[in-house]
Amino acid sequence: MAENETSPTILQFAPLNSSVDEGFWHSFSSLKLDKLGIDDSPLSITGFCAPCSHPQVSNHLTLLSESLPSDEQSLIANTSHGNRNKCPVPGILYNTNTVESFNKLDKQSLLKAEAKKIWEDIQSGKALEDCALLSRFLVISFADLKKWSFRYWFAFPALVLDPPASLVELKPASEYFSSEEAESVSAACNDWRESNSTTDVPFFLVSVSSDSKASIKHLKDYEACQGDYQKLFFGFYDPCHLPSNPGWPLRNYLALIRSRWNLETVLFFCYRESRGFADLNLSLVGQASVTLSSGESAETVPNSVGWELNKGKRVPRSISLANSMDPTRLAVSAVDLNLKLMRWRALPSLNLNVLSSVKCLLLGAGTLGCQVARTLMGWGIRNITFVDYGKVAMSNPVRQSLYTFEDCVGRGEFKAVAAVKSLKQIFPAMESSGVVMAIPMPGHPISSQEEDSVLGDCKRLSDLIESHDAVFLLTDTRESRWLPSLLCANANKIAINAALGFDSYMVMRHGAGPTSLSDDMNKTHRQRLGCYFCNDVVAPQDSMTDRTLDQQCTVTRPGLAPIAGALAVELLVGVLQHPLGIYAKGDNSSSSNGGNIDDSPLGILPHQIRGSISQFSQITLLGQASNSCTACSETVISEYRKRGNSFILEAINHPTYLEDLTGLTELKKAANSFNLDWEDDDIDDDDDDVAVDL
Amino acid sequence: MESGREVSDFSSGDGRLTVEDFSVAARGFSDNWKTHNQSFPPWSWVPLISRTPLVSKKQEEGYLSLEKIIILSSLEEKNPEEDSLNVETDCSEKEESIDDTILVQPLDNEAHYYDFHIVYSASYRVPVLYFRGYCSGGKPLSLDVIKKDLPSCSVSLLMESKWTFITQEEHPYLNRPWFKLHPCGTEEWIKLLSQSSSSAGCQMPVELYLVSWFSVVGQVVGLRIPLEMLN
Repeated sequence: MAENETSPTILQFAPLNSSVDEGFWHSFSSLKLDKLGIDDSPLSITGFCAPCSHPQVSNHLTLLSESLPSDEQSLIANTSHGNRNKCPVPGILYNTNTVESFNKLDKQSLLKAEAKKIWEDIQSGKALEDCALLSRFLVISFADLKKWSFRYWFAFPALVLDPPASLVELKPASEYFSSEEAESVSAACNDWRESNSTTDVPFFLVSVSSDSKASIKHLKDYEACQGDYQKLFFGFYDPCHLPSNPGWPLRNYLALIRSRWNLETVLFFCYRESRGFADLNLSLVGQASVTLSSGESAETVPNSVGWELNKGKRVPRSISLANSMDPTRLAVSAVDLNLKLMRWRALPSLNLNVLSSVKCLLLGAGTLGCQVARTLMGWGIRNITFVDYGKVAMSNPVRQSLYTFEDCVGRGEFKAVAAVKSLKQIFPAMESSGVVMAIPMPGHPISSQEEDSVLGDCKRLSDLIESHDAVFLLTDTRESRWLPSLLCANANKIAINAALGFDSYMVMRHGAGPTSLSDDMNKTHRQRLGCYFCNDVVAPQDSMTDRTLDQQCTVTRPGLAPIAGALAVELLVGVLQHPLGIYAKGDNSSSSNGGNIDDSPLGILPHQIRGSISQFSQITLLGQASNSCTACSETVISEYRKRGNSFILEAINHPTYLEDLTGLTELKKAANSFNLDWEDDDIDDDDDDVAVDL
Repeated sequence: MESGREVSDFSSGDGRLTVEDFSVAARGFSDNWKTHNQSFPPWSWVPLISRTPLVSKKQEEGYLSLEKIIILSSLEEKNPEEDSLNVETDCSEKEESIDDTILVQPLDNEAHYYDFHIVYSASYRVPVLYFRGYCSGGKPLSLDVIKKDLPSCSVSLLMESKWTFITQEEHPYLNRPWFKLHPCGTEEWIKLLSQSSSSAGCQMPVELYLVSWFSVVGQVVGLRIPLEMLN
C-alpha cells in the first residue's frame, strides 16, 4: 500500500436503475384486487437483469408481469428460465394500502434489513451457490387502484466498504488483454452465455492461463482456481455502459471477495455485450485495491446505501396507467375506433366530431325514445337528455330496450331516470340526464291553479330546447308534439319527428324556422320544409279522452319502433353531415338517381319517410312548410314571441284558437262548401297518430 | 414439410394466410432477418401454451417478437404532470449517509424502447403488427410521442394512406392495450403485391409472405428491411 505513491482514486460505481414494465402493474393490480386485499405483508418478487448491450444505454433491473408470484396458468410459456436477457434477481415488495403509510415507511431500516440478508448470505456461503442473492433489491409502493396510478421507490442495497476501495486501473478489456487472450475470453464468455445452465448466472470467475487460454468458473469453484492459473478475474454482468466506471453489482461482489477471500487486490471484469455476443471494447477490466478488515466480526453488518434517485432527486417515482387500465377510457377508445374505421374505410368525409359533440334532446323515453337513444350511441353521440313523465311499467321492458324488470319492481322508476342509468351502464362515457316532466298540450284545458306549473314546464321545455342542438319528438300523442315543434321552429333547432301507427310509421325532419324571422337573411330565398303540423287542417287537440286503453297506449307491431327509431337517427346524422344542415332541401329516392353523393357522404337526405309493415314498403315524401301551420308558421311564431305565456295558455285552453289564428277555420269553411269527402281518410290516419298527408 | 406446401390458398393470391402458413412464414422471416439484418437483434418466436391441450399439436401457436429496440432522443421534455405528482412527497427522512463511491451521473439522453410483435389475426387471416413504446423507467409512451420518434415519411404515410392506420387495442395474448396497425386493408394490398409478382412470372412462396408484408408495414414504424431479404 505504502508503495503506491499517487494518491488513490476512489472507485466509483454507476448506480443501477429500475424499469417497471406496464405488465407488472397490470398483474400486480389483479393480484391486489383478487387475492391480497388489504394484506400488506411483503411479497417476494423477481427482478430481471442482463449485461449492458448498447454502447450508450445502460441496462435496467426490470420488473415484468412474471416478476410476481403466480400460480395461475399463463398463456405465454414461461421463458424466464435460462433466458439470457432475463437473469432472475430476488427482490421484496412492500406495498402499502395508503399513501400516508407509504410516506411513513422507515426506508433506512428496510434497506438495512435487506443489506443484512446479503451480508448473511455472504457469511454463510449461500451467495456463492446462488450469486444472484448479491443483487437483492427492495421496492416500496403504493398502488392507487381507483386512479390506476402507482408510486414506487426502488433500493439496490450495497454494502459500503470502509475505507472505500480505490481504483488502480480501468480500461476496455480489448486493451487490457492481448489479442489472443481477448479471443479466448470472448469465446469462453459466449459459451457461458449460450449455455442454458449458466446464461443467467451473473457473477463468475474468469481465469486466464499463461498460454492465453481463458475459462469461466462458478464462484463456488474459487478454491479450485487457485494456483493453476496466472490471472484470475472476478467477472460479472455489468448493466452499466460507461467506459469510466463499473456498475453497481460490483459493490456487493467486492464485499464478498473481501470477506470470503481476504484479497487486497482484486481484478474485476465488467462483462458487456452487443448483439448477443461478448463485446470486449465495451467490457472493462479494472484493478481495485481493498483495505482488509481488521478484526471485523461477521455479526456487524456494514453500512448500506442504495435508494434509487429519480432524476437526481431523492423522491419516489410514479406512473399513471389510466390510459391502459381504466375500463371507461378503454371503452371510449374502442367505440371511437369503430367509428373511425367506418370513416377510414367507407366514408372518408364523415365528420365524427360533429357527432360526438351534438347534444340531443329526446322528448319521450318509451319504445321510440329507447330505440333512438341506442342508435344515437351507435353513431358516437355522447350527449343525450330524456324528457318523460312516466314510470317504467311491467309491460315496458320487453319493448323498451333500455329497461329491465328491475326498473319496474316496487313503484317503478321514472323512465327519464332509468333511461339515463341504463345509458351509463351501456357506455360509461355517456353524458346523459333525465327530466321528469309532462309536455303541455293544446286542447287539454287547465285550471287557473295549474297555470303556474304548466307555464313553468313551458319555460323548462323552452330552455331545454335552447340548450340542445337537435330535438327528437317521440311522444305518444300528436298534441304533445305541438309545443316542441313550435319551440324548435322558434329557436331554429333541428327537430326529428317519429310517429307510429299500428303497422305504419312516419319519420320526418322539420324545416328551419320561419325565414323572415330568422337572423339568417341569406336563407330567405329558400323554400322551408314543413313540420309535423304543416299539412294538417285541424289544430292539435285532445286525442286521449274517450279512447279505450289500447288506443291510448299506441299499440303497434313491435318491429316498428326499432325501424322508425333507427330511421330517425339516420335522418339526424344525414342533416348533421349535410353542408346546409337544417336548411338542406328534401331529396327523394326517385329524383336523386343516387347521384347526390356530393352533397352528403351518406347519400340522399329526404324530408319524410313513411313505411308500412303490412306492405313491407317504404317511401320518401317531400312537403313544404305551410303558411297556415299551427306550429311553425310565421303567424304563430310571431304571436308566440309577442304574447308568450298568454299565447300558450290560450292555445291550451281554447281548442279553436290556433285554427282561428292561422286561418285554418276560414280554410275549412271554404273547403266544406265544396263538400269533398276526404275527411274520412283524415280521421283514420289521425287514429294512427300519423300526420295526415294531403 | 410436405411437398406442395407452397400451393396453399395464399398462393392463389387472395392475400391471406392460414395459421399453419403463418408459422412457416414466421420462421422464414426470422431466419431471413437474422442473415440480412444483423444490425438489429433477431426476431424470436414466442410459443403459446395451448389452452386446449387436446387439440392436435401439429402446429405450434405463437407470435414473433422483437423487443427493446432503442431510439435515443434528445433530452426529454419536461413533463409538468409528472412533476406535480412528486411535489407532495415527504423528503424529510434522514438522508442516507453520504457516500463518495456513488457515481453522480448527469442526466443524459433519454432512451425510448420499442417492442414489436407480429401476431396472426384469425379473423382477418393476415399478420398484424402490434407495438408499444416506453421510457427507460417503464412508463408507456403516448401515440403523440411515438409519432415524434417515427421517421417523417412514415408520419405522412399514416396521414395519407387508407390502408395503414394506428389504433390502440388489446394485445390478444398479453391482454393489455398495445398499438397496432389495423389489418383491415392488409389483405388487399398483399393481393396487389402478389399479383404484381406473379405477373412477373414468379409466385410468392409462403416463406416470403412476411418479408413482403413487413416491407410495407415496417416502413410505417421506421423499420426498413434490406432489399436482399426480398430475393
